[in-house]
Amino acid sequence: MTSPQPNLPPELRPDHPAPAHPSRKTLLWETLVSGAVIAVGAAMAYGAKDIPSEAGYGGVGANFLPWMVAIALMVCGALLLREARTGGYRNMEEAEGDERPDWMGFVWVSAGLLLNAALIEHIGFILSCALTYVLAVQGLKRAFGKPHDTWLTDTIAGVVLAAPVFWLFTKFLAINLPGLTASGWI
Amino acid sequence: MDTVSLLMQGFSTALTLSNLLWALFGCALGTAVGVLPGIGPATTVAMLLPITAKVDITASMIFFAGIYYGAMYGGSTTSILLNTPGETASMVTAMEGNKMAKNGRAGAALATAAIGSFVAGSIATVVVTLFAPVVADYAVKLGPPEYFLLMVLAFTTVSAVLGKSTVRGLTALFIGLAVGLIGMDQISGQPRYTGGKAEFLDGIEIVLVAVGLFAVAEVLHAVLFEGKIVETQNTLTRVHMSARDWRRSVPAWLRGAAIGSPFGCIPAGGTEIPTFLSYATEKKLAKGEDQAEFGTTGAIEGVAGPEAANNATVTTALIPLLTLGIPTSNTTAILLGAFQNYGIQPGPQLFATSAALVWALIASLYIGNVMLLVLNLPMVGLWVKLLKIPKPQLYAGILIFATVGAYGMRQSTFDLFLLYVIGAIGVVMRRFDFPTAPVVVGMILGPLAEAQLRNAMSIGEGKWTVFVDRPVSIFLILVIAAVLVLPRLMKRRAAAQA
Repeated sequence: MTSPQPNLPPELRPDHPAPAHPSRKTLLWETLVSGAVIAVGAAMAYGAKDIPSEAGYGGVGANFLPWMVAIALMVCGALLLREARTGGYRNMEEAEGDERPDWMGFVWVSAGLLLNAALIEHIGFILSCALTYVLAVQGLKRAFGKPHDTWLTDTIAGVVLAAPVFWLFTKFLAINLPGLTASGWI
Repeated sequence: MDTVSLLMQGFSTALTLSNLLWALFGCALGTAVGVLPGIGPATTVAMLLPITAKVDITASMIFFAGIYYGAMYGGSTTSILLNTPGETASMVTAMEGNKMAKNGRAGAALATAAIGSFVAGSIATVVVTLFAPVVADYAVKLGPPEYFLLMVLAFTTVSAVLGKSTVRGLTALFIGLAVGLIGMDQISGQPRYTGGKAEFLDGIEIVLVAVGLFAVAEVLHAVLFEGKIVETQNTLTRVHMSARDWRRSVPAWLRGAAIGSPFGCIPAGGTEIPTFLSYATEKKLAKGEDQAEFGTTGAIEGVAGPEAANNATVTTALIPLLTLGIPTSNTTAILLGAFQNYGIQPGPQLFATSAALVWALIASLYIGNVMLLVLNLPMVGLWVKLLKIPKPQLYAGILIFATVGAYGMRQSTFDLFLLYVIGAIGVVMRRFDFPTAPVVVGMILGPLAEAQLRNAMSIGEGKWTVFVDRPVSIFLILVIAAVLVLPRLMKRRAAAQA
């Protein structure tokens, strides 16, 4: 950063121009994000069409806010798109960390989360969450460049973490979480 | 009944053994999540929302409140010791605190932060005690038009004023409002945006959005982008303040409390402005060698003032939450969600209908501040050990708790898939610097604002002039215009001078 007061929170600095040279890839992403905002707005408008406008004598019915949100999102999306096409989003916080995402690690963590959703009602909270933990910790260790030949300790850690959480929440706080057996302990 | 006897009754509820334990547990958990990177009070309270199904409301609100302000104490520890400042609230503390720590004065910085938080938190709690009932009495007289405008004021400040970009702030707000629209319209019973799916009829659970946007997004962001960040930690020194430190800290605490308290009271939100104002004030008032320490070896006033201001703001932010039902931050928005889980709508009637609960909560703030001082001064070394947990294990562990929160709310695997999608959206938002608070506040406050708007329009028989009929609403419109225009004018002037 070349700002004379690097510690000042950005929102309190005098108007900050767009970053000098956002990469082409960043600009492409920004365009995509802007497009997604417009698309959400359009989808909201499409949905708003079917909401009855019956408004009583207030004149403002169930479809008023949906239309307002739809239009506002499309306008915001268009403004974002203009920023993206004219040098990039304004007043951006300097992106933390790496410019290049670690997709492999992302796949590991995603697999952990999605398998959890798919399996939790079949193999129970403890095993399912232990699996999530193992996959996530493996992905994170790879991304952080740490030794990841730790399957056994990770598995033990996953079970040792998930089991007390399960017992704490089901036994003491009476929250329903799925078990593998009806015993209430696993 | 007068305030004193109500407060005494509150103490008698809060001082029962089980409530004391809830407060202690909340404060300890709050400190821990404040210290830990990757998880904050909003996430924690959100993940624990399912307990509202079983735990009695007074106990759980005392518990959640403990997490809420405990995290403020813990957060300062991390921002002083780690060289990567976390949330914006502790950013100002980090400026001088980090420099002090690098120069072997971490202990003094931690002490002034903890004692300052205690002093300012206690002063602000007195402010809550004295003013909340007054505001509630007054707020009863407000009608739907005024309420709607107050909510618009909260929306405006959270989205358009506090962030770095108005467009991105507003985008986030409208995304939040859009999420809030999903489900059954509470006035006409009309289902909206449910796509015929029964899961959507009750709307999207706040737990999902909060845990997805904060916890899951945090983990995904870490695995994608943070692998190469090298973190360094300052060494902890003895937690002790010299006589000179005390002389410099005490006035800074009091000034910080004076600056922070009013900011929390107005439904505008954000601790950035009061903490920064306090920092600027301290820097300006310091003289001679004290001033020379600013930005070089670290000035203790620069930690004491902003920390005090932060805690004062966070505490008095409970006034708009409890008396008007208007949250202005992620955490207070989720606290509002917790009240709603019990079928209680915070607002002016709360002081009449749930007096016992409100006063027990306020009493627990006094108790919690004392607990936190003890937890954070002599025991700070214990909390610092939490920073030794390696990130992969920490983040993977967070996912287990995220599952409890998301699944425990209504036992639906559909919610777990949705959690992942929201997490992915959160990563994109974070990467492109969209603020999250407007999403959460918009989602929770949106349906309430819509109801007020439609009630107001019914009162006005369809005429929009209902919003300018009464002096209070005209005043509120002027305030909204001012918060939109003034910061821009000031920025432009600052830019012109630079």
